[in-house]
Amino acid sequence: MAALGVPRWRCLWRRAAAPLGLRRPGRALLGSRGYGQDAGSEADKEKSDVTKPCFTDELVQRLLSKMTGLDLQKIFRPIKQELKPPTYKLMTEKQLAEATRKAIKEAKELLKMPPVLSEREPIDDVLAEDRILEGTETVKYVFTDITYSTPHRERFIVVREPSGVLRKATWEERDRMIQVYFPREGRKLVPPPIFKDENLMTVFREDRHEDVLNLCIAQFEPDSANYIRVHHQTYEDIDKHAKYDLLRSTRHFGGMVWYLVNRKKTDGLLINMIQRNLMDDATCLINLYHMLYPDCQSAKAAKEQEVHGIDLIKVFMKTESKKVGYIELALQAYQEALASSAAL
Amino acid sequence: QVLARVIMVHLAHLLMKNYHGGHVAIRMALGGCANRPFFRIVAAYNKRARDSKYLEQVGCYDPLPNSHNEKLVGLNIERIKHWIGCGAHVTKPVEKLLGLSGFFPLHPMTITNAERLRKRRALKAIAASEEETPGD
Repeated sequence: MAALGVPRWRCLWRRAAAPLGLRRPGRALLGSRGYGQDAGSEADKEKSDVTKPCFTDELVQRLLSKMTGLDLQKIFRPIKQELKPPTYKLMTEKQLAEATRKAIKEAKELLKMPPVLSEREPIDDVLAEDRILEGTETVKYVFTDITYSTPHRERFIVVREPSGVLRKATWEERDRMIQVYFPREGRKLVPPPIFKDENLMTVFREDRHEDVLNLCIAQFEPDSANYIRVHHQTYEDIDKHAKYDLLRSTRHFGGMVWYLVNRKKTDGLLINMIQRNLMDDATCLINLYHMLYPDCQSAKAAKEQEVHGIDLIKVFMKTESKKVGYIELALQAYQEALASSAAL
Repeated sequence: QVLARVIMVHLAHLLMKNYHGGHVAIRMALGGCANRPFFRIVAAYNKRARDSKYLEQVGCYDPLPNSHNEKLVGLNIERIKHWIGCGAHVTKPVEKLLGLSGFFPLHPMTITNAERLRKRRALKAIAASEEETPGD
Protein backbone atom coordinates (compact mmCIF):
# COMPACT_ATOMS: atom_id res chain seq x y z
CA MET A 1 0.00 0.00 0.00
CA ALA A 2 2.93 2.30 0.78
CA ALA A 3 4.32 1.66 -2.69
CA LEU A 4 1.09 2.93 -4.20
CA GLY A 5 1.66 6.24 -2.45
CA VAL A 6 5.21 6.76 -3.73
CA PRO A 7 4.80 7.29 -7.49
CA ARG A 8 1.61 9.31 -6.99
CA TRP A 9 2.74 11.83 -4.42
CA ARG A 10 4.92 13.81 -6.78
CA CYS A 11 2.09 14.66 -9.13
CA LEU A 12 -0.71 14.74 -6.51
CA TRP A 13 -0.48 18.46 -6.09
CA ARG A 14 -0.05 19.17 -9.82
CA ARG A 15 -3.08 17.12 -10.75
CA ALA A 16 -5.09 18.53 -7.89
CA ALA A 17 -4.63 22.03 -9.29
CA ALA A 18 -6.22 21.37 -12.67
CA PRO A 19 -9.83 20.40 -11.79
CA LEU A 20 -10.27 23.51 -9.66
CA GLY A 21 -11.02 25.17 -12.95
CA LEU A 22 -11.48 28.91 -12.47
CA ARG A 23 -8.77 31.24 -13.63
CA ARG A 24 -6.27 32.90 -11.32
CA PRO A 25 -7.78 36.19 -10.13
CA GLY A 26 -5.97 38.91 -8.17
CA ARG A 27 -5.19 37.95 -4.59
CA ALA A 28 -6.34 41.25 -3.09
CA LEU A 29 -9.72 41.41 -1.41
CA LEU A 30 -11.36 43.51 -4.09
CA GLY A 31 -9.50 41.70 -6.85
CA SER A 32 -11.33 38.51 -6.01
CA ARG A 33 -14.34 40.03 -7.75
CA GLY A 34 -12.56 39.61 -11.08
CA TYR A 35 -13.56 35.97 -11.64
CA GLY A 36 -17.05 37.00 -12.66
CA GLN A 37 -15.92 37.65 -16.21
CA ASP A 38 -14.62 34.22 -17.09
CA ALA A 39 -17.00 32.05 -15.15
CA GLY A 40 -20.06 33.82 -16.52
CA SER A 41 -18.97 33.85 -20.14
CA GLU A 42 -17.82 30.21 -20.09
CA ALA A 43 -21.08 29.01 -18.63
CA ASP A 44 -23.09 31.02 -21.13
CA LYS A 45 -21.09 29.84 -24.12
CA GLU A 46 -21.68 26.26 -23.12
CA LYS A 47 -25.42 26.84 -22.72
CA SER A 48 -26.24 27.93 -26.27
CA ASP A 49 -24.52 28.21 -29.59
CA VAL A 50 -26.04 31.64 -30.22
CA THR A 51 -24.06 34.31 -28.35
CA LYS A 52 -26.53 35.00 -25.55
CA PRO A 53 -25.75 38.28 -23.80
CA CYS A 54 -24.49 37.63 -20.29
CA PHE A 55 -24.43 39.85 -17.21
CA THR A 56 -20.94 41.17 -17.81
CA ASP A 57 -21.39 42.44 -21.39
CA GLU A 58 -20.60 46.13 -21.95
CA LEU A 59 -23.99 46.89 -23.41
CA VAL A 60 -25.90 45.05 -20.69
CA GLN A 61 -23.91 46.77 -17.96
CA ARG A 62 -24.53 50.17 -19.54
CA LEU A 63 -28.28 49.59 -19.70
CA LEU A 64 -28.37 48.31 -16.13
CA SER A 65 -26.35 51.20 -14.73
CA LYS A 66 -28.55 53.69 -16.58
CA MET A 67 -31.59 52.15 -14.91
CA THR A 68 -29.91 52.19 -11.51
CA GLY A 69 -29.89 55.96 -11.48
CA LEU A 70 -27.52 58.21 -9.58
CA ASP A 71 -29.30 59.71 -6.58
CA LEU A 72 -26.37 61.24 -4.70
CA GLN A 73 -28.50 62.03 -1.67
CA LYS A 74 -29.36 58.36 -1.22
CA ILE A 75 -25.90 56.94 -2.00
CA PHE A 76 -24.08 59.21 0.40
CA ARG A 77 -26.66 59.20 3.13
CA PRO A 78 -25.13 58.91 6.61
CA ILE A 79 -23.93 55.36 7.29
CA LYS A 80 -22.95 54.12 10.69
CA GLN A 81 -19.49 55.49 11.31
CA GLU A 82 -17.53 57.40 13.91
CA LEU A 83 -19.28 60.52 15.16
CA LYS A 84 -17.42 63.54 13.78
CA PRO A 85 -18.66 67.13 13.79
CA PRO A 86 -19.57 68.18 10.23
CA THR A 87 -17.08 70.26 8.24
CA TYR A 88 -18.23 73.29 6.30
CA LYS A 89 -16.36 74.60 3.28
CA LEU A 90 -16.78 77.88 1.45
CA MET A 91 -16.60 77.24 -2.30
CA THR A 92 -17.00 79.13 -5.55
CA GLU A 93 -19.37 77.85 -8.23
CA LYS A 94 -16.49 76.22 -10.07
CA GLN A 95 -15.23 74.47 -6.94
CA LEU A 96 -18.73 73.23 -6.19
CA ALA A 97 -18.99 71.80 -9.69
CA GLU A 98 -15.60 70.13 -9.23
CA ALA A 99 -16.68 68.66 -5.89
CA THR A 100 -19.92 67.36 -7.42
CA ARG A 101 -17.93 65.76 -10.24
CA LYS A 102 -15.67 63.99 -7.76
CA ALA A 103 -18.71 62.88 -5.77
CA ILE A 104 -20.26 61.40 -8.92
CA LYS A 105 -17.04 59.52 -9.68
CA GLU A 106 -16.98 58.08 -6.17
CA ALA A 107 -20.65 57.24 -6.41
CA LYS A 108 -20.00 55.28 -9.61
CA GLU A 109 -17.33 53.31 -7.73
CA LEU A 110 -19.80 52.56 -4.96
CA LEU A 111 -22.36 51.49 -7.54
CA LYS A 112 -20.17 48.75 -9.05
CA MET A 113 -22.44 45.75 -9.41
CA PRO A 114 -21.55 42.57 -7.54
CA PRO A 115 -21.06 39.58 -9.87
CA VAL A 116 -23.94 37.35 -10.92
CA LEU A 117 -22.70 33.77 -11.34
CA SER A 118 -24.37 30.42 -11.69
CA GLU A 119 -24.28 28.09 -8.71
CA ARG A 120 -20.96 26.30 -8.17
CA GLU A 121 -20.64 22.58 -8.82
CA PRO A 122 -19.98 20.53 -5.67
CA ILE A 123 -16.44 19.18 -5.34
CA ASP A 124 -16.06 15.48 -4.72
CA ASP A 125 -12.68 14.35 -5.84
CA VAL A 126 -10.78 11.59 -4.09
CA LEU A 127 -6.99 11.95 -4.18
CA ALA A 128 -6.00 8.75 -2.41
CA GLU A 129 -7.60 5.72 -0.78
CA ASP A 130 -5.61 4.23 2.06
CA ARG A 131 -7.98 1.78 3.66
CA ILE A 132 -5.30 0.49 6.07
CA LEU A 133 -5.76 3.66 8.10
CA GLU A 134 -9.38 2.82 8.76
CA GLY A 135 -10.13 2.76 12.48
CA THR A 136 -6.92 4.46 13.64
CA GLU A 137 -8.56 7.88 13.99
CA THR A 138 -11.97 9.08 15.04
CA VAL A 139 -11.41 12.59 13.70
CA LYS A 140 -10.88 14.06 10.27
CA TYR A 141 -7.75 16.04 9.50
CA VAL A 142 -8.14 19.17 7.37
CA PHE A 143 -4.91 20.30 5.70
CA THR A 144 -4.84 23.83 4.31
CA ASP A 145 -2.08 25.31 2.22
CA ILE A 146 -1.39 28.68 3.83
CA THR A 147 0.99 30.02 1.18
CA TYR A 148 0.28 33.74 1.18
CA SER A 149 0.63 34.27 -2.54
CA THR A 150 -1.81 31.69 -3.90
CA PRO A 151 -5.28 32.97 -4.84
CA HIS A 152 -8.02 31.55 -2.63
CA ARG A 153 -9.65 29.76 -5.54
CA GLU A 154 -6.50 27.76 -6.24
CA ARG A 155 -5.63 26.96 -2.66
CA PHE A 156 -5.17 23.27 -1.77
CA ILE A 157 -7.48 22.17 1.02
CA VAL A 158 -7.66 18.41 1.54
CA VAL A 159 -9.40 16.30 4.15
CA ARG A 160 -8.19 12.94 5.48
CA GLU A 161 -11.28 11.09 6.66
CA PRO A 162 -11.17 8.55 9.54
CA SER A 163 -11.78 5.89 6.89
CA GLY A 164 -8.38 6.69 5.37
CA VAL A 165 -9.74 8.40 2.25
CA LEU A 166 -7.90 11.58 1.22
CA ARG A 167 -10.34 13.85 -0.58
CA LYS A 168 -10.60 17.49 -1.61
CA ALA A 169 -12.57 19.67 0.78
CA THR A 170 -16.14 20.68 -0.08
CA TRP A 171 -16.97 24.30 -0.85
CA GLU A 172 -18.34 24.95 2.65
CA GLU A 173 -15.21 23.48 4.25
CA ARG A 174 -13.06 25.56 1.90
CA ASP A 175 -14.85 28.77 2.80
CA ARG A 176 -14.54 28.01 6.50
CA MET A 177 -10.82 27.19 6.34
CA ILE A 178 -9.99 30.26 4.27
CA GLN A 179 -11.87 32.40 6.77
CA VAL A 180 -9.91 30.79 9.64
CA TYR A 181 -6.48 31.38 8.15
CA PHE A 182 -7.17 34.53 6.12
CA PRO A 183 -9.99 36.29 7.94
CA ARG A 184 -11.92 38.76 5.87
CA GLU A 185 -13.60 41.81 7.33
CA GLY A 186 -17.33 41.51 7.68
CA ARG A 187 -17.33 37.74 7.25
CA LYS A 188 -18.15 35.43 10.15
CA LEU A 189 -17.09 31.78 10.50
CA VAL A 190 -20.67 30.72 11.08
CA PRO A 191 -23.18 32.57 8.88
CA PRO A 192 -25.41 34.75 11.09
CA PRO A 193 -29.01 33.54 11.59
CA ILE A 194 -30.37 36.51 9.61
CA PHE A 195 -29.96 34.41 6.47
CA LYS A 196 -32.44 31.77 7.57
CA ASP A 197 -35.76 31.90 5.72
CA GLU A 198 -37.96 32.83 8.72
CA ASN A 199 -35.66 35.66 9.72
CA LEU A 200 -35.48 36.96 6.16
CA MET A 201 -39.26 37.44 6.27
CA THR A 202 -38.92 39.64 9.34
CA VAL A 203 -36.23 41.71 7.67
CA PHE A 204 -38.34 42.18 4.54
CA ARG A 205 -41.25 43.43 6.62
CA GLU A 206 -38.98 46.17 7.91
CA ASP A 207 -37.92 47.17 4.36
CA ARG A 208 -34.23 46.50 5.02
CA HIS A 209 -33.54 44.59 1.81
CA GLU A 210 -30.43 46.61 1.00
CA ASP A 211 -28.79 45.87 4.37
CA VAL A 212 -29.47 42.16 4.00
CA LEU A 213 -27.96 42.16 0.52
CA ASN A 214 -24.85 44.00 1.72
CA LEU A 215 -24.43 41.51 4.57
CA CYS A 216 -24.91 38.66 2.12
CA ILE A 217 -22.19 40.00 -0.20
CA ALA A 218 -19.79 40.29 2.76
CA GLN A 219 -20.57 36.81 4.08
CA PHE A 220 -20.92 34.48 1.09
CA GLU A 221 -19.06 33.82 -2.13
CA PRO A 222 -21.01 34.99 -5.23
CA ASP A 223 -21.41 31.50 -6.63
CA SER A 224 -22.44 29.79 -3.38
CA ALA A 225 -25.93 28.40 -2.93
CA ASN A 226 -26.69 30.65 0.06
CA TYR A 227 -25.77 33.84 -1.77
CA ILE A 228 -27.99 32.97 -4.74
CA ARG A 229 -30.85 31.85 -2.51
CA VAL A 230 -30.83 35.03 -0.39
CA HIS A 231 -30.61 37.24 -3.45
CA HIS A 232 -33.44 35.45 -5.25
CA GLN A 233 -35.66 35.63 -2.18
CA THR A 234 -34.98 39.34 -1.78
CA TYR A 235 -35.79 40.03 -5.41
CA GLU A 236 -38.97 37.95 -5.23
CA ASP A 237 -40.14 39.84 -2.17
CA ILE A 238 -39.42 43.21 -3.78
CA ASP A 239 -41.28 42.16 -6.90
CA LYS A 240 -44.24 40.90 -4.86
CA HIS A 241 -44.67 44.16 -2.97
CA ALA A 242 -43.39 46.49 -5.74
CA LYS A 243 -40.73 48.00 -3.49
CA TYR A 244 -38.32 48.67 -6.36
CA ASP A 245 -37.43 52.07 -5.00
CA LEU A 246 -35.57 50.56 -2.06
CA LEU A 247 -32.83 49.37 -4.38
CA ARG A 248 -33.03 52.17 -6.93
CA SER A 249 -29.70 53.96 -6.47
CA THR A 250 -27.80 51.03 -4.98
CA ARG A 251 -25.45 48.54 -6.56
CA HIS A 252 -28.03 45.76 -6.26
CA PHE A 253 -30.44 47.27 -8.76
CA GLY A 254 -28.66 45.81 -11.78
CA GLY A 255 -28.73 42.32 -10.35
CA MET A 256 -32.42 42.62 -9.58
CA VAL A 257 -33.29 43.80 -13.08
CA TRP A 258 -31.22 40.97 -14.59
CA TYR A 259 -33.06 38.45 -12.44
CA LEU A 260 -36.49 39.83 -13.35
CA VAL A 261 -35.76 40.03 -17.07
CA ASN A 262 -34.45 36.47 -17.12
CA ARG A 263 -37.70 35.28 -15.60
CA LYS A 264 -39.94 37.61 -17.63
CA LYS A 265 -41.41 39.31 -14.57
CA THR A 266 -40.83 42.83 -15.82
CA ASP A 267 -44.40 44.11 -15.57
CA GLY A 268 -44.28 45.40 -11.99
CA LEU A 269 -41.01 47.19 -12.64
CA LEU A 270 -42.35 48.73 -15.86
CA ILE A 271 -45.45 50.08 -14.08
CA ASN A 272 -43.27 51.50 -11.31
CA MET A 273 -41.04 53.28 -13.82
CA ILE A 274 -43.97 54.79 -15.72
CA GLN A 275 -45.57 55.97 -12.49
CA ARG A 276 -42.34 57.74 -11.56
CA ASN A 277 -42.05 59.28 -15.05
CA LEU A 278 -38.78 57.48 -15.85
CA MET A 279 -39.42 56.94 -19.54
CA ASP A 280 -35.76 56.49 -20.46
CA ASP A 281 -35.39 53.75 -17.89
CA ALA A 282 -38.49 52.03 -19.23
CA THR A 283 -37.06 52.05 -22.77
CA CYS A 284 -33.74 50.74 -21.40
CA LEU A 285 -35.58 47.89 -19.73
CA ILE A 286 -37.37 46.94 -22.92
CA ASN A 287 -34.15 47.14 -24.92
CA LEU A 288 -32.52 44.79 -22.44
CA TYR A 289 -35.47 42.42 -22.74
CA HIS A 290 -35.12 42.42 -26.52
CA MET A 291 -31.39 41.78 -26.25
CA LEU A 292 -32.01 38.70 -24.13
CA TYR A 293 -34.98 37.39 -26.13
CA PRO A 294 -34.38 38.48 -29.72
CA ASP A 295 -36.93 35.98 -31.01
CA CYS A 296 -39.95 37.27 -29.12
CA GLN A 297 -42.80 39.01 -30.90
CA SER A 298 -42.26 42.51 -29.59
CA ALA A 299 -38.55 42.42 -30.46
CA LYS A 300 -39.25 41.56 -34.08
CA ALA A 301 -42.04 44.16 -34.26
CA ALA A 302 -39.78 46.81 -32.77
CA LYS A 303 -36.99 46.04 -35.23
CA GLU A 304 -39.34 46.18 -38.22
CA GLN A 305 -41.11 49.36 -37.27
CA GLU A 306 -38.13 51.17 -35.66
CA VAL A 307 -40.22 52.43 -32.78
CA HIS A 308 -38.93 54.50 -29.87
CA GLY A 309 -40.16 55.83 -26.56
CA ILE A 310 -43.78 55.41 -25.62
CA ASP A 311 -44.66 53.50 -28.79
CA LEU A 312 -42.02 50.91 -27.92
CA ILE A 313 -43.65 50.50 -24.53
CA LYS A 314 -47.06 50.12 -26.17
CA VAL A 315 -45.78 47.45 -28.56
CA PHE A 316 -44.10 45.58 -25.72
CA MET A 317 -47.18 45.85 -23.56
CA LYS A 318 -49.49 44.36 -26.17
CA THR A 319 -47.31 41.34 -26.97
CA GLU A 320 -45.28 40.34 -23.93
CA SER A 321 -46.74 41.57 -20.68
CA LYS A 322 -49.36 39.85 -18.55
CA LYS A 323 -50.71 42.88 -16.72
CA VAL A 324 -51.75 44.77 -19.85
CA GLY A 325 -54.52 46.63 -18.04
CA TYR A 326 -52.30 48.08 -15.36
CA ILE A 327 -49.66 49.24 -17.80
CA GLU A 328 -52.27 50.88 -20.01
CA LEU A 329 -53.71 52.74 -17.03
CA ALA A 330 -50.28 53.89 -15.92
CA LEU A 331 -49.43 55.08 -19.44
CA GLN A 332 -52.70 56.95 -19.67
CA ALA A 333 -52.11 58.65 -16.34
CA TYR A 334 -48.61 59.62 -17.47
CA GLN A 335 -49.84 61.07 -20.76
CA GLU A 336 -52.57 63.04 -19.00
CA ALA A 337 -50.00 64.42 -16.56
CA LEU A 338 -47.76 65.38 -19.50
CA ALA A 339 -50.62 67.06 -21.31
CA SER A 340 -51.76 69.02 -18.25
CA SER A 341 -48.21 70.17 -17.44
CA ALA A 342 -47.69 71.18 -21.09
CA ALA A 343 -50.98 73.08 -21.02
CA LEU A 344 -49.77 74.89 -17.88
CA GLN B 1 15.72 10.38 -0.77
CA VAL B 2 18.25 9.98 2.13
CA LEU B 3 19.63 13.43 2.93
CA ALA B 4 23.30 13.70 3.95
CA ARG B 5 23.99 13.96 7.70
CA VAL B 6 25.99 17.23 7.66
CA ILE B 7 25.00 19.75 5.04
CA MET B 8 26.26 23.24 4.29
CA VAL B 9 23.21 25.42 4.62
CA HIS B 10 23.53 28.10 1.96
CA LEU B 11 21.77 31.00 3.61
CA ALA B 12 23.19 34.49 3.95
CA HIS B 13 22.67 35.04 7.68
CA LEU B 14 24.00 31.58 8.51
CA LEU B 15 27.42 32.50 7.14
CA MET B 16 27.80 34.75 10.15
CA LYS B 17 26.68 32.22 12.71
CA ASN B 18 28.84 29.22 11.69
CA TYR B 19 26.53 26.61 13.14
CA HIS B 20 29.05 23.80 13.22
CA GLY B 21 27.69 20.30 12.91
CA GLY B 22 24.07 21.27 13.35
CA HIS B 23 21.25 21.46 10.87
CA VAL B 24 17.90 23.07 10.34
CA ALA B 25 14.91 21.01 11.41
CA ILE B 26 11.23 21.34 10.61
CA ARG B 27 9.57 20.38 13.84
CA MET B 28 6.70 21.18 16.19
CA ALA B 29 6.96 23.86 18.86
CA LEU B 30 4.42 23.53 21.68
CA GLY B 31 2.37 26.53 22.73
CA GLY B 32 -1.06 27.15 24.16
CA CYS B 33 -2.23 26.94 27.78
CA ALA B 34 -2.80 24.35 30.49
CA ASN B 35 -4.75 21.39 29.11
CA ARG B 36 -4.86 23.16 25.75
CA PRO B 37 -1.88 22.31 23.53
CA PHE B 38 -1.24 24.01 20.20
CA PHE B 39 1.68 23.26 17.91
CA ARG B 40 3.44 25.57 15.52
CA ILE B 41 5.29 23.81 12.73
CA VAL B 42 8.57 25.65 12.65
CA ALA B 43 11.90 25.67 10.83
CA ALA B 44 14.58 26.05 13.54
CA TYR B 45 18.16 25.01 14.30
CA ASN B 46 18.01 21.56 15.81
CA LYS B 47 20.13 22.45 18.86
CA ARG B 48 17.76 25.24 19.91
CA ALA B 49 15.22 24.72 22.70
CA ARG B 50 11.87 23.41 21.49
CA ASP B 51 9.93 26.65 21.99
CA SER B 52 12.68 29.22 21.61
CA LYS B 53 13.67 31.39 18.65
CA TYR B 54 13.04 29.78 15.29
CA LEU B 55 14.02 30.73 11.76
CA GLU B 56 10.48 30.77 10.37
CA GLN B 57 7.03 29.51 11.22
CA VAL B 58 5.89 27.26 8.45
CA GLY B 59 2.55 25.95 9.68
CA CYS B 60 0.38 25.13 12.63
CA TYR B 61 -1.40 22.10 14.06
CA ASP B 62 -4.28 22.05 16.49
CA PRO B 63 -4.42 18.62 18.20
CA LEU B 64 -7.86 19.19 19.72
CA PRO B 65 -10.81 18.61 17.34
CA ASN B 66 -13.17 21.53 16.73
CA SER B 67 -16.97 21.67 16.71
CA HIS B 68 -17.07 19.99 13.29
CA ASN B 69 -14.88 17.14 14.57
CA GLU B 70 -11.86 18.20 12.55
CA LYS B 71 -8.23 18.72 13.47
CA LEU B 72 -6.94 21.74 11.61
CA VAL B 73 -3.46 21.72 10.10
CA GLY B 74 -2.10 24.67 8.17
CA LEU B 75 1.02 24.10 6.02
CA ASN B 76 2.93 26.76 4.12
CA ILE B 77 3.88 24.36 1.33
CA GLU B 78 6.03 26.85 -0.55
CA ARG B 79 8.24 27.55 2.43
CA ILE B 80 8.40 23.88 3.48
CA LYS B 81 9.66 23.07 0.00
CA HIS B 82 12.22 25.86 0.30
CA TRP B 83 13.59 24.63 3.64
CA ILE B 84 13.69 21.00 2.50
CA GLY B 85 15.54 22.25 -0.54
CA CYS B 86 18.04 23.95 1.78
CA GLY B 87 18.64 20.64 3.48
CA ALA B 88 16.38 20.80 6.52
CA HIS B 89 15.57 17.58 8.35
CA VAL B 90 11.98 16.79 9.16
CA THR B 91 11.06 15.24 12.50
CA LYS B 92 8.87 12.16 12.73
CA PRO B 93 5.60 13.79 13.88
CA VAL B 94 5.81 16.37 11.10
CA GLU B 95 6.66 13.64 8.59
CA LYS B 96 3.59 11.71 9.70
CA LEU B 97 1.41 14.80 9.34
CA LEU B 98 2.79 15.54 5.90
CA GLY B 99 2.23 11.91 4.96
CA LEU B 100 -1.39 12.10 6.06
CA SER B 101 -1.82 15.28 4.05
CA GLY B 102 -0.57 13.70 0.84
CA PHE B 103 2.47 15.95 0.43
CA PHE B 104 4.79 13.09 1.49
CA PRO B 105 4.06 9.41 0.99
CA LEU B 106 2.42 7.79 4.02
CA HIS B 107 4.95 7.27 6.81
CA PRO B 108 5.80 3.57 7.34
CA MET B 109 5.13 3.88 11.11
CA THR B 110 1.61 5.16 10.40
CA ILE B 111 0.95 2.03 8.40
CA THR B 112 2.71 -0.20 10.94
CA ASN B 113 0.71 1.26 13.82
CA ALA B 114 -2.50 0.89 11.86
CA GLU B 115 -1.74 -2.77 11.17
CA ARG B 116 -0.76 -3.41 14.81
CA LEU B 117 -3.99 -1.79 15.99
CA ARG B 118 -5.97 -3.90 13.59
CA LYS B 119 -4.29 -7.10 14.76
CA ARG B 120 -4.85 -6.20 18.41
CA ARG B 121 -8.54 -5.52 17.78
CA ALA B 122 -8.90 -8.76 15.83
CA LEU B 123 -7.30 -10.71 18.66
CA LYS B 124 -9.56 -8.99 21.19
CA ALA B 125 -12.61 -9.82 19.10
CA ILE B 126 -11.57 -13.48 18.88
CA ALA B 127 -10.88 -13.58 22.64
CA ALA B 128 -14.28 -12.01 23.36
CA SER B 129 -16.11 -14.50 21.11
CA GLU B 130 -14.17 -17.42 22.66
CA GLU B 131 -15.22 -16.24 26.11
CA GLU B 132 -18.85 -16.24 25.07
CA THR B 133 -18.97 -19.71 23.53
CA PRO B 134 -17.60 -21.66 26.57
CA GLY B 135 -19.90 -19.50 28.71
CA ASP B 136 -23.01 -20.95 26.98
